[in-house]
Amino acid sequence: MTKTTGTTAGALPAVSFTGAVKTFGGVRALQGVDLRIQPGETVALLGRNGAGKSTTISLLLGLNEPDEGTVRLFGAPPEQAVRAGRVGAMLQEGRAVPRVTVRELVSFVARRYPDPMPVARALRLAGITELAERRVDRLSGGQTQRVRFAVALAGNPSVIVLDEPTAALDVEARHAFWASMRSYARLGRTVLFSTHHLEEADAHADRILVIDRGRIVADGTGEQLKRSVGGSLVAIDLAGRGTEGLERLPGVRSVEVRGERARLRTDDPDATVVALAELGAIRGLEVAPASLDDAFLALTARVTEAA
Amino acid sequence: MLDYLRLEVRRTLRDAGFVIGGIAMPVLMYLLFTNLGADDGSWKTGAMVGMAGYGAVGCALNTGGGVAEDRAIGWLRQLRVTPMTPRQVVVGRTLTGSVTVLPAILAVLAAGGLVNGVRLAAWQWAAVAGLLWLGSLPFTLLGLGNGYRLTGQTTGVTNMACNLGLAVLGGLWFPVTLFPHWLRALSAYTPTYRFAQLGTSAAEGRAPALGAITVLTLWLLAFGSYAVLSYRRSGRTA
Repeated sequence: MTKTTGTTAGALPAVSFTGAVKTFGGVRALQGVDLRIQPGETVALLGRNGAGKSTTISLLLGLNEPDEGTVRLFGAPPEQAVRAGRVGAMLQEGRAVPRVTVRELVSFVARRYPDPMPVARALRLAGITELAERRVDRLSGGQTQRVRFAVALAGNPSVIVLDEPTAALDVEARHAFWASMRSYARLGRTVLFSTHHLEEADAHADRILVIDRGRIVADGTGEQLKRSVGGSLVAIDLAGRGTEGLERLPGVRSVEVRGERARLRTDDPDATVVALAELGAIRGLEVAPASLDDAFLALTARVTEAA
Repeated sequence: MLDYLRLEVRRTLRDAGFVIGGIAMPVLMYLLFTNLGADDGSWKTGAMVGMAGYGAVGCALNTGGGVAEDRAIGWLRQLRVTPMTPRQVVVGRTLTGSVTVLPAILAVLAAGGLVNGVRLAAWQWAAVAGLLWLGSLPFTLLGLGNGYRLTGQTTGVTNMACNLGLAVLGGLWFPVTLFPHWLRALSAYTPTYRFAQLGTSAAEGRAPALGAITVLTLWLLAFGSYAVLSYRRSGRTA
């Protein structure tokens, strides 16, 4: 493929979903998903278990077809993009393939693609060069995961899809994995990964799509998501008093009790603190900007209320 | 496709269970059955064909066990997101079955020729091996049908039951002449009996019987349809 200089206004998105609906046995796993991912972006699909992440990914890879709406990869149906070798994937339920060595497996997959990367390079990017001659079924969980990452990128695809790539990995393996992923993304490839770890989404993606109950409920950088939820958290010790009246204080949007502490989400922390002081309720005061955690909870809770 | 075949054959041959159960066992059973007790030696050739057939059926069915395993670990799903087409995967798997039956056939024939002193003309050896090889295709398809339909464990048990049942009924272990009359009549309809008949006819220097070819072809179609139906069903759920 030849590269044209400058991006044309009508450049095809790497991934596009338009009103995608998918139902499994009466359960609407996706209820109208719209999303666009441009070539070169690293995007996190963030959601709780059962929010629709895996369904989104299986539609994207052409493993399932949407009941309504369309899914396109580079303007074509997913199956066509997969056959053309433009897609690499690390599927969630994949386990180690028994009785093959790492090199045999990665080079076999690489040769299925029209324009693969050299196997040595795929192994290096995944950080498993020294494991090349080992049997895949005799590796640790973290090593297996990186082998599966090498399998996903071996064909040198334009877009790589990682479904919960770090689930069940310990901290060290997780860091090694993300280092591998970033070195691949730096090559200018499109990466979409799903996760339910907020910190991972925030740390490793350019953009976060929050999915909840089969809908995309937010789309932006970690910063934008935090801002969109707005405000701050004001926390105090309840010290025996109840929470009544707290939700009516100026600026307060919601009140949550964790143990003996009340956490007030507020648009105007100054006014809230002054009002708390007037109530004589300030004990162990803490004021903090909303974290991504809070943003996520607020975003997904909002949908609950609407539903 | 050849690449896929090579990969899967390699994986099969590295499976200790396959090598012991699929290749070593039939050889051992053959040597045991033909060298215990008094024997006029005629059964040495018949049993050689029977046990080579038994080994081939076991290895052919084992292909289905491999498919069930690959479904369980997500390897078949992983292949679906590579440029390989589903057709290439299925054909590759079937060819894998065809290749992996060869070691068992050749090992038992070698035991017959080298240990038990079975003497056949060169063309007969080639014909016995070739016919058993071709005739194992229905069993590969039966195994694939099980593998695409059932879970890993159930596939293993079902394959074992198919293997033992068909082997005994078809006279691969004991000659059907020892069977009661009604059982002999039943045996004539089994794919295994007709499969062994292909090999026996070559060992006796005759052309394969029309009945053997007809019955085996019918089983080929039946097991082939079963495999296709199972495969389609797995495509919807995998």
